[in-house]
Amino acid sequence: MADRLGAFEQAVLLGIVRLGEDAYGRAILREVQTRLEREVAAGAVHATLERLEKKGVISSRLGPGTPVRGGRARRFYHLQPSGLRALNDARAAIDSLWHGLKWPLRGYV
Amino acid sequence: MMPSPPNWAQALLRVFVKRADFDCVSGDLLEAYRDTVHPVRGQLAADVWYVTQVLWFVIRGARISATLFAAAFLTRTALDWLVPPLDFHARSTASTLLGVGLLLATGLQASRRSGSLLAGTLTGVATTAIAAIVSVVGAAILLTIWHGAGTMAAIRASGGLGEVFELPILMILPGAVLGTLGGMAGAMIKRPGSSQ
Repeated sequence: MADRLGAFEQAVLLGIVRLGEDAYGRAILREVQTRLEREVAAGAVHATLERLEKKGVISSRLGPGTPVRGGRARRFYHLQPSGLRALNDARAAIDSLWHGLKWPLRGYV
Repeated sequence: MMPSPPNWAQALLRVFVKRADFDCVSGDLLEAYRDTVHPVRGQLAADVWYVTQVLWFVIRGARISATLFAAAFLTRTALDWLVPPLDFHARSTASTLLGVGLLLATGLQASRRSGSLLAGTLTGVATTAIAAIVSVVGAAILLTIWHGAGTMAAIRASGGLGEVFELPILMILPGAVLGTLGGMAGAMIKRPGSSQ
């Protein structure tokens, strides 16, 4: 069974999926902030990427820097098969939880 | 000329991020600073944003050692209040050795992680500063729970409330010294596979 993912891990992984070949730290941070509609610490995204890479859910490679970064390298991330399975499992779990309920919920309180 | 965050904050980041990750992490922060934050918020607010981001790494780097340090202090405090010994010497020696060992190990690990001797000093300071906040809050909670006559007598016998609330803050200077010593030890131990 694939690793269970937390909500923030899912946000980061889905950011990588959406960005495709352009998924590096800063771009993922921006994507996560946009989707979650809140300020997120860059360190939180880096820590999550590090943890996911240790789990083998994603892999990374170094790429060239840009002038705005002072020439510093970028680390590009790619989803691994276990990451894809984990995301699909997470989606299936949510779908199962909501099965049979109309969204948005009304009339239960 | 492109705007830049404070040099000291960039130097601090270098200390608290793994050597292998520093280029990517600092590049990401610099890109966000120049691309988005500075144009929208201006120099001062952008600098504050950058420092806040760096502090996240500082707290993350020192959180485990700070938690252990605060836990040791609060355990010792609770023991002194609830199970007061006749002679505090043995207990003091044990808790002092534990604290010294923890700070030396923290400094050693930090300097090996970042490759910087300064990392030991700064991690020692961060550890004791965070632990001081946790310890003072924790001691206040303990005092709220236990404040009977017997406990108050035990507190007076073990150094008084002043020691409970001041000692964690006074530990920041020894934290810097011991972190530095640990950092020096870490710098002397060559990392496996390191060419430095």
